[in-house]
Amino acid sequence: MIYDIRHVTSYSYENPVSVARCSLRLEPRNGDGQELVSHSVEIRPRPAERTTRRDFFGTLTESILIETAHRSLRIDSRSRVSVSRRVPDRTASSSPWESVRDVALAATSLGPSSPVGYIFASPLVPIQPPVTAYASASFQPGAGILAGAADLMRRIRSDFRYDPKATVISTPLAEVFEKRHGVCQDFAHVMIAGLRGLGLPAAYVSGYLRTVPPPGRPRLQGADATHAWVSLWCGPGIGWIGFDPTNDLLVENDHIILAIGRDFSDVSPVDGIIVGSRKQKLNVAVDVVLVE
Amino acid sequence: MAGQAGSQENKARPGQRRMAQWMRDYVRLPGTPDEYIAEDGAPRAVWTRFFDAFAALNPADIERRFASADRHLREAGVTYRTPGDSADRIWPLSHLPLIIDEADWQQLAAGIAQRAQLLEMVLRDLYGEGRLVAEGAIPAAAIAGSAEYLRPLSGVKPPGGRYLHLYAADVGRGPDGRWWVLGDRTQAPSGTGYALENRLVLSRAFSSLYKSMNVERVAPFFEAFRDNLRASADRDEPQIGLLTPGSFSETYFEHATLARYLGFLLVEGDDLAVSGDRIYIRTVAGLKRLDVLLRRVDSNSLDPLELDASSQLGVPGLIDVLRRNGVVVANMPGSGVLEARALLGFLPSLSRRLLGEDLKMPHIATWWCGQQSAREEVLSRLDEIAIEGAYGQGIPGFPGHGPVLGGELSPGDRERLKAVINERGIDYVGQELVRLSTTPVWENGRLTPRPFVLRVFAAATQDGWTIMPGGFCRIAERTDARAVSMGDGVRSADVWVVSDKEVPAATLLPAVDTVRIRRIAGVLPSRAADNLFWLGRYLERAEATLRLVRALVTPMRDPGKGSPTAQHAAERIQRMLVAWGAALQTARPNPAKIATEALQSPDKFGSALSLLRAAQRTAISLRERLSPDAWQVITEMTERLAIEVEDDDGVVSAAELTLQELASFAGLAQENMNRAAGWRFLDMGRRAERAINTARFGRQFAYDDANDEDLDILLTLVDCQITYRSRYLVQPLLAPVRDLVVLDPYNPRSVAFQVSVLNDHIANLPALKEHGLIERPQRLAVAAQAMLTTAEAAQLEVKTLFALEQDLLNLADAIGAHYFPHGPNASRPEKLTGLA
Repeated sequence: MIYDIRHVTSYSYENPVSVARCSLRLEPRNGDGQELVSHSVEIRPRPAERTTRRDFFGTLTESILIETAHRSLRIDSRSRVSVSRRVPDRTASSSPWESVRDVALAATSLGPSSPVGYIFASPLVPIQPPVTAYASASFQPGAGILAGAADLMRRIRSDFRYDPKATVISTPLAEVFEKRHGVCQDFAHVMIAGLRGLGLPAAYVSGYLRTVPPPGRPRLQGADATHAWVSLWCGPGIGWIGFDPTNDLLVENDHIILAIGRDFSDVSPVDGIIVGSRKQKLNVAVDVVLVE
Repeated sequence: MAGQAGSQENKARPGQRRMAQWMRDYVRLPGTPDEYIAEDGAPRAVWTRFFDAFAALNPADIERRFASADRHLREAGVTYRTPGDSADRIWPLSHLPLIIDEADWQQLAAGIAQRAQLLEMVLRDLYGEGRLVAEGAIPAAAIAGSAEYLRPLSGVKPPGGRYLHLYAADVGRGPDGRWWVLGDRTQAPSGTGYALENRLVLSRAFSSLYKSMNVERVAPFFEAFRDNLRASADRDEPQIGLLTPGSFSETYFEHATLARYLGFLLVEGDDLAVSGDRIYIRTVAGLKRLDVLLRRVDSNSLDPLELDASSQLGVPGLIDVLRRNGVVVANMPGSGVLEARALLGFLPSLSRRLLGEDLKMPHIATWWCGQQSAREEVLSRLDEIAIEGAYGQGIPGFPGHGPVLGGELSPGDRERLKAVINERGIDYVGQELVRLSTTPVWENGRLTPRPFVLRVFAAATQDGWTIMPGGFCRIAERTDARAVSMGDGVRSADVWVVSDKEVPAATLLPAVDTVRIRRIAGVLPSRAADNLFWLGRYLERAEATLRLVRALVTPMRDPGKGSPTAQHAAERIQRMLVAWGAALQTARPNPAKIATEALQSPDKFGSALSLLRAAQRTAISLRERLSPDAWQVITEMTERLAIEVEDDDGVVSAAELTLQELASFAGLAQENMNRAAGWRFLDMGRRAERAINTARFGRQFAYDDANDEDLDILLTLVDCQITYRSRYLVQPLLAPVRDLVVLDPYNPRSVAFQVSVLNDHIANLPALKEHGLIERPQRLAVAAQAMLTTAEAAQLEVKTLFALEQDLLNLADAIGAHYFPHGPNASRPEKLTGLA
């Protein structure tokens, strides 16, 4: 499947901003079952400096510096991505979760795809006994990792209420878990916290969903904004598999990966420091069109 | 001669008696080694030497010296904060040093140097090639679990060529008599500044004792440390900054002490800016390049763009500058990963692998529960082992706990501990409980043993490591030595490494031939200039308030001065004090109440006490720029003014005393401060505030139909009584008084004089823009001076005075906006709000 993606981020400020220094992570991933065909980012006002590099996780990170006073900032990202992923059935047999845990722990690499980097607490995902206990109900001793994670995903989908007004980025995980509501980012963080509590390697994925569902299927939650889900390492044979707890779906060809990290703080698409604004308003528009 | 020998003997005898008494009282804790008394019950030689000399001092003399040490600590403002404190606390210093014999020390130092070298090599591999992890010498999980393993720095070569510039280890002496490492400090070790201050205080209080003991000096260590940082930069005469989180930090005093002692610039994150491939300091003369940053800010707070996004303490873009080799940061961000306890158990084999030798110094036995055999060992011996977090502070599942002792838990908590260790052993270590040695402290004229932890410091040099002979010793108040931190009831001690031979004296004064002659020192960061300017303003405003208070109360004590015009003038003073926030409006005139409030009410922001406190707070941020004398004057007068006065006489004498102290501060600044930009800003603050207040007084008391009484008060307020009377020999008249107070350029208290000095300062400061046009502060100052120069007293009107006061307020604001665009009133960097 080939998608055209338009992702426009606009900030408007109460007072003129004299300096803005931002990091952009807007280039969709090339690999993991998808291929980047083309990508461009247009920024207004025009930055004085633009430099790019790959970050630790392999995401293209663009650093920009704007030194002209401005009241609005518009970042217009366009990408074409070809997606072709095969995922196992959620009932397929897989290794017992305990052995996946033990193999992950014994990893001898600190690299970005080594599972050992994803079994610990990270800045936005603390490990909390109640969350671990919640997750462990899906992992009976000896249970297959795929079945266990799919069950945890299903439970999150049915136990938590999707409510875009309920949380902001800084809402702590404990509050999300206690009140059982939030958005895709919160559900991903809850699922990750539960999996890591059990010693299982879970990563955070940011990305997009196709906007218009295939005929006869419901429109997915989170299709008009950036989306987030979980990638779980299911052992050396199966590798990393995407779980979307917001929609109770294994990630296949409706999802386009933008970036992968330990939690949102590693993949935030637009991040930065500005001087001079006081109040700011943010608007994000995402459109994902199936080309063929 | 026989008589002399006899008197010496007489002197020695009470000393020996005292010493015998101390010895008898001193009982070692059961099963615990001691520094003073050896295993066989005999005192150790170095301590005997010390107590021999110490006992020869008479008891009153000892107490006097202790008191002098305490006084020095208080007056120099040696303080620290514990989390939750709003005010600084005086650093408690044990009156006795910890004494270590030179030979013993050499072994300890060799162990520390070896360890520093090993840790440097491990860091190089972890952030570089990664062979140790790939080949299984270090489990990947033992690194990945640390919040200090900074992924953005993976593959980044440390500018300056090394990770560790300063390393510290906490050590204690175990029951076997050897020194044991309890933990490593590789992030940004604290304590060197306190060690320095402790040495200063104790060596001063017991100077002859100190000299006679042949104590190794600590100055060469600091010299080596400074030289290494200098050499790590890529240009001669590099600019070195010490990055502090700010004056709210619990160890801010230490940052200021070190910056002053080492000659580094004390900077906060806001003082620094990234431009291109480099870091710059925002100064009153524009951006100045920074070469080396000695950081006392933790890694994760250093750069909100790549690390903790919520941090306000760092510099956006700093990590990218490191990638481009544009600044040396000591220690390299990410070095803190080696503080993880999970790694301790792997160091012996790493030492053999990387150095080809065994570790010279043991560390406390530690089992990382991420490994099955270690976990089983810990669980089977839970009652004899302390459980700690494997990586940082705190133990997951047991918040707010120090080390958890299995044996001290309730049965429920014990089961819970077992469960969490079984579930996520990777987050925990077990550590052997060791009885560490005790050292004598002086309490109520007696010696008592107390456990301690010694922090030993190593500085990198071109050819190895230099160890500070001495260190930072923390002494527990309780006999249980575990977890001695800067918390409750802990004092510190100086550490004397004692040699048999005479040691050369040393200071940080540079050798003559290595120094290039300079006349103006360093650069002035905008924030420091801003603080100096406000320090000047607060002090001057306090002075004006005190003069008003004195003018209000003095006639009340003089029954002859109750005339209606005097009443009227008193009401004006009261209105002024109310208007600038020094006192509350009263229903009926109540000068006594208003005067007391304006003098020392802590809740009125304009009271003299509040202004002095504001000045003191500002001075804290300027600690490394003020002389100890100046700091002491501010502290003393603020403390004294806080003491409640009882009556009008008390008000007047408190006001007068404080005015004298303000004058002595002004004198210190005038006489002792280098005439560099810093002094100019302090003086500008003072002059701007005095100009504004004098114009205001002029407007209030020299209004168009002012009477004698008003003019008389005005002359008192601006301290011009004597000048006026010697010049005019008549009662106060409007035009001559206005001329003297406002226009006379020869009167050092007139508005014109202040404006002229301001003009002089502004003309001497560097221009920031190169457009060749006159800059705004100068434009306003020149205009005000022109007006004051050409005006004639007889033609002055009160509305002119009012306009003048407004112009002066604008001038003060313009100075702030021009030189301190990043000061407290400027816009701060903000985060872009994130995406939902």
